[in-house]
Amino acid sequence: MRPSVYLAYLSMAVTILIGNCVQANTLSGEALYDAACGACHSLGTSTDHRIGPPLGTLLNRQAGAIQGYRYSEALSNSGWTWTLPTLLAWLSDPDAAMPNNAMNYVNHLTATETQLLGEWLLQQP
Amino acid sequence: MTLTLSRRRLLEGAITGLLGGMSSGCSQPGSGRSVVVVGAGLSGLNAALILERWGYEVRVIEAKARVGGRLWTLDHMPGSPEGGGNIMGANYGRVFHMAHELNVPLRTPPRTLPADYFIGDQRIARNSWATSSANPLPEAWRTIPPDRLLGKLNITNPLLGTRAWHDPVLMAGDQSAATGLRALDFPDAAIELIGCNNSYGNNLSETSLMTLYRIMGEFARLSGPALSVKEATEGNMRLPEAMAMNLTQPVRKGEPVIAIHQSASLVTVTVESGRTLEADAVVLALPLPALRQIEVTLPSSQQALLENIDYHKVVQLHCIVEEPFWESSGWSGSWWTDGLLGRVFTRPILGTTRHNMTVWINGDDCDALNSLDDATCIETLTQALWKLMPSARDVTSVGQLVRWSTDPYAGGAWALWRPGQAATAHEAIRTPAGRLFFAGEHTAEAYRGMEAAMESGERAALEVMRLLA
Repeated sequence: MRPSVYLAYLSMAVTILIGNCVQANTLSGEALYDAACGACHSLGTSTDHRIGPPLGTLLNRQAGAIQGYRYSEALSNSGWTWTLPTLLAWLSDPDAAMPNNAMNYVNHLTATETQLLGEWLLQQP
Repeated sequence: MTLTLSRRRLLEGAITGLLGGMSSGCSQPGSGRSVVVVGAGLSGLNAALILERWGYEVRVIEAKARVGGRLWTLDHMPGSPEGGGNIMGANYGRVFHMAHELNVPLRTPPRTLPADYFIGDQRIARNSWATSSANPLPEAWRTIPPDRLLGKLNITNPLLGTRAWHDPVLMAGDQSAATGLRALDFPDAAIELIGCNNSYGNNLSETSLMTLYRIMGEFARLSGPALSVKEATEGNMRLPEAMAMNLTQPVRKGEPVIAIHQSASLVTVTVESGRTLEADAVVLALPLPALRQIEVTLPSSQQALLENIDYHKVVQLHCIVEEPFWESSGWSGSWWTDGLLGRVFTRPILGTTRHNMTVWINGDDCDALNSLDDATCIETLTQALWKLMPSARDVTSVGQLVRWSTDPYAGGAWALWRPGQAATAHEAIRTPAGRLFFAGEHTAEAYRGMEAAMESGERAALEVMRLLA
């Protein structure tokens, strides 16, 4: 194949790819959750063996509201409700958002990824 | 040739990605992308499992004949003592989840016998520490046992958040533990005792005070009564073994990597046999002393760090005790010493009358032992043991000498941060270099130990996915 034709095909393929799939170089909320959250948090509303509380039905839930989960005093007494702004503040820097919380976690996501993750999380049952 | 290949690979990747996107809503960002993970410890295996879940073709290469890295269960000894990582901290969420998912049973470890003290040439029963004439501490400090002296740091602990331990502002005031403890009015006798069995530096002059604050803060955070440390019931190495078994492609063991070269589109990994592997990205999930042995071009700042980050020295002698000889002597079977033996940890082998006894020496005190051959090292330690516990001699046998510093694929037990070093070095050493990504406990921010390895594998996997999505 002539290089010029080859490159034309390549260019077309990449254009179609990007046009059809906005996550070129951007990971989906599901992938971000799996890699960054899933080992410590389940979805749904039931506690399981994982060290963190479940993250389903998060939107408009009071912070520290899952029965049977031992939250930090800081979170239990925060008066927070989970919405996109509060969740993004929490995900971006948990210690700054709420000192003395129990989540020993450092967010390695970009701001865009954090936003995607937050939006995805708030949609989970 | 390389250019043509890379174009073809890119086109194939793009088309595969396009088809994948059409059929699955872009849920498999890794389709058609390959990753080589160097190192089959917890960090590399965790990165590999995450990447496989998202469609990447992953090959894991391990220099040793076994997986697990610095987890090393001594399966040939009764009680299967841990020669490497021994404690799963009470907040090791990733470790616990992985064990749960892979059906690796965990248990609360059998209780190690509480230690008596051996200071100078004098034995001190733990209940007599405060009043013993051999206790070298001044009056106001005499009630604090040697292994709890560092806990006093929490009175002045300035670290309030997970990331604070390498905060550049706080780090500007970091200093050596030797200097810092003195400035905090720790008496010289206390500082000397802390230096005897210091797990957080090879000597107090090179131990970061901020690192000590970090570790003491962690212990304080974990002091809740509902929390319990764990170990794998059948040995901690069962966890990395189960992780390796869950990979699509078996780990290639006994294949030390000798060189890594990257172009703009490809990484080539050469193993000792001369065979090469090509991949879109490589995760270097191995301790820095092992990485030093690989021919690889890194940014100069990273290369300099590679040579300057120190590793902790640990020597262990694992023994089996047939009968609890200490019961008739009135002394414990565990000891905290300020001498050659360091600490002696003794714990029961459940369901038997036998015990595992581990002599554990930290830091520069290992140097003299590491200069000896195995037989002489064992002889030196056992002679000191018999002197401390004469009645142990007839009922104790040696099972395994472990020396992490002399292991070419470990180079030490864990990474150490010199005073002030973590302010910039910690981020720099894990910053991706082109298509090379870094994992391992030394690259983790929130945790230390096994959980740090798992944490770092997550981050490295994310970075790879971000590049290759």
